[in-house]
Amino acid sequence: MAGRDAQSVPWFAEERPQAVLADGARLDGRSFEEFRSVFLKTGVISQASGSAYAEFGRTKVMVGVYGPRQSDRRQGYSERGRLACDVKLATFATRQRGIFGQSQEEREHSAAMQTALEAAANLDSFPKATVDVYCLVLEAGGSELAVAITAAALALADAGIELFDLVSACSVSRVEGSLLLDPSADETHREDGGLLLAMMPTVNEVTQLVSRGQWSGAELKDGLELAMGGCAQLDAAARQCLREAAAAAAAKQAAEDGAAAAQPAAA
Amino acid sequence: MGRRRSAAAQPRQPLPSQAMSAAAAAAAPGGSEALQAEAFQRLYPDQYLAKFVAQGVRPDGRPLALPRATSIGLGVVTTADASALVKIGSTTVLAGAKCEVMPASADEPDKGRLVVQVEMAPLCSAECRPGRPSEAAQALGEQLGALMEGAGVVDRRQLCIDAGKAAWAVYLDLYVLDADGSLYDACLLAALATLASLRLHAVTVDDAGRIHKAGEDGAAAAPAAVAQQRPGSQQQGAAPPLRSLQLDCQPVSLTCGVYRGQLLVDPTAEEEPLLEALLTATVDEQGDVLGFYKAGGSATASQQRVLECIEAAKMRGKEVRGLLQQALEAAGVADGGAVAAGS
Repeated sequence: MAGRDAQSVPWFAEERPQAVLADGARLDGRSFEEFRSVFLKTGVISQASGSAYAEFGRTKVMVGVYGPRQSDRRQGYSERGRLACDVKLATFATRQRGIFGQSQEEREHSAAMQTALEAAANLDSFPKATVDVYCLVLEAGGSELAVAITAAALALADAGIELFDLVSACSVSRVEGSLLLDPSADETHREDGGLLLAMMPTVNEVTQLVSRGQWSGAELKDGLELAMGGCAQLDAAARQCLREAAAAAAAKQAAEDGAAAAQPAAA
Repeated sequence: MGRRRSAAAQPRQPLPSQAMSAAAAAAAPGGSEALQAEAFQRLYPDQYLAKFVAQGVRPDGRPLALPRATSIGLGVVTTADASALVKIGSTTVLAGAKCEVMPASADEPDKGRLVVQVEMAPLCSAECRPGRPSEAAQALGEQLGALMEGAGVVDRRQLCIDAGKAAWAVYLDLYVLDADGSLYDACLLAALATLASLRLHAVTVDDAGRIHKAGEDGAAAAPAAVAQQRPGSQQQGAAPPLRSLQLDCQPVSLTCGVYRGQLLVDPTAEEEPLLEALLTATVDEQGDVLGFYKAGGSATASQQRVLECIEAAKMRGKEVRGLLQQALEAAGVADGGAVAAGS
């Protein structure tokens, strides 16, 4: 790419904060077990079968779902359906400019999202076909993979793919011995351990748990409980979002039917 | 765009008029008219559009000459040095600029660099797949880059930090989030809005080649930093001055499609593959033409058509520049032509 061969170097006007905990409080004023402000919306891409946009503080993620549609020929034959996930970060999403091609981090995120969602989708409902889940991180303000998984589950629901349950995911970072829910980018940067939990809250099943760093048994248990509580909160928000979307669609349909009924009457 | 799509979609097959009227008749009566109309649209998209155009309207309810509602949001991505989210109808483009520092080039020691790239994210349409950048995206990027350079939108001498030593490299990356037609118009507007809202930090280069904020090391402000304080940053006292780019012109484009002898302004993704030709005119604020692009198509365009398209682009330019000015004022970064750029 044009940006790589010319030796330009990034320059940052602002340094990262030295400490993310000041007097036992987080820099953005949240309590340890509090989410950033959460915004979820479905039906944001006109071309997609289903789509969702999620914003957690500064983390902004957009997901589009296409299909079920014919599998790529090189994918080979599969009796069951297939969920193909692709996560990309916009080049300007991170502090340092990213690349256009697929980076190592993106490849890992794509694989992680696939394993987190696969268990929730009823793959037998679309045999031999593929559902493509495309995710673009517009701004990586921390916990972007967890946000992306939550948004992707919403987009799958919006696309009408059969799911056993919604999936919600959240991250926990351990900074100076404190467990922080939904860490920001600076908090993740300073963490000495972290975990990502994706689960189906209604059936209370974990689809994915990834931990980083060294954890004692008790700490991990606390971290897990914190994350599970977070997932339950997110699930409520996700269901609320879907209900509102369904209500809006029903209202629109009713208005259209009303207009259609009124038209012949007028004529 | 149009060409690529129409290759995938079914070609226009002129239907025997009997079949057409039969289909129309089938669509007319019956209880579930909406369903019939939808089936008719799927099976005979060309006839579907033709019926609308014959009545002087479009499937989305617009008259033929009306562009879609447009919105511009600035500063939506805080990790970017400048960003803009542009929506034209459903078509959505997110542009972000990142500034990096590069050693001055030997050829142009007093100029920086502006690199424009377009990515059609796979989520934007059913035809885009992950992997190599699509031809359409590359073509869009090339066209935008050529316009920025050829029309002299940004004088790259403004990107100079220290002549012969260092300069800014501005990477302007555009992501198409929703491809619902007229992508070039949306991309150009997003690029323009991003550049108009971009603020460069005033920096100096020391002898070791390291970059400092101007004033930080006691040195006088860089010669380029004849600068404007960003409103709202005064409370920080010695905040580094930020300098906006002076844009020499504000190009705005409009895409028109030729369909059965009519001009359809700002076509959607549904209409684009059916159009006989796509014309894109780019004009500046004086109404001078900065670029005209007609990408093949099965129909030729007469001089009359070309002029019509340019006229429509001029009208559109006025409207869009008004929106851009509003957005810049709302974001508190309006320059209003009052910025004394260093060049």
